[in-house]
Amino acid sequence: MTDPGAPLAAIERLPLAMAMRHELWLYPAVEIFHIIGFVTLVGSIIVLDMRLLGLSKALPVSLLARHTLPWSMGALLLIVPTGLLMFVAHAGDFISNPAFITKMSLLFCAATNAAVFHAGVFRGVAGWDSGVATPAAAKMHALISLLIWLGVLSCGRLLAYI
Amino acid sequence: MSRITTLLFVLIAAFSLPAAAHHGWSEYDSSKVLKLTGTIAEAGYEHPHGHIKLVTPEKTWIAVLAPPSRMTARGLPPTDLKVGSTVTVVGYANRSKPEEMRAERIIVGSKTVELR
Repeated sequence: MTDPGAPLAAIERLPLAMAMRHELWLYPAVEIFHIIGFVTLVGSIIVLDMRLLGLSKALPVSLLARHTLPWSMGALLLIVPTGLLMFVAHAGDFISNPAFITKMSLLFCAATNAAVFHAGVFRGVAGWDSGVATPAAAKMHALISLLIWLGVLSCGRLLAYI
Repeated sequence: MSRITTLLFVLIAAFSLPAAAHHGWSEYDSSKVLKLTGTIAEAGYEHPHGHIKLVTPEKTWIAVLAPPSRMTARGLPPTDLKVGSTVTVVGYANRSKPEEMRAERIIVGSKTVELR
């Protein structure tokens, strides 16, 4: 825990933060839901990224995206609240942890990459929906996405060790 | 397609390396077993790991214990870690934080509780 005088110590004194540290099964339960959330998020993203990289060309990209996107977005409903709960429990430790800073920066990059993809090259998906090679720009977004998400997962795990 | 598969394997391997290198408990020097008896000055029965501040004749240690859920399951309730009581911990010193040790087991009265 942080020094009582530290700026983030007030967050750690919130009843919710105290409950996270003291309730016997709350912390592990929150971790479990966080994991269920991020395997759904990253799993659904990887499936789409693989398709964009040229695997399973018979699957229409638009159809696959329509199926995976609700899972990616819906998973955030599990991930964000559980992530915030773990954050408030040890806010001071997290904010000074390089793995946490890296993870948050990578999440920002991942969101930006996805937004640029959807606002850009994905608008022309009708032209390369199935059976043909995807545009280089789409491949690039997919590769960047894979790299970033592997990084996010690694940083998430390393939080406990750095 | 095989090129992409190869690329993915390389990426996964590259990201796995730092994870292996940093693996948690290697921070503690398991070549030297410490057995410390002292008085509890502070106790935290908290997630993700409980801890006690243990005052021994030589110095004051922070002993990292186990998650509260495990300690409860193994028969070490919070009342066993009362401030002022005498306990013994067996474990390993942290390589980079000289005041910290990770307790493998704790002895409270006549009771020995395994923490790993």
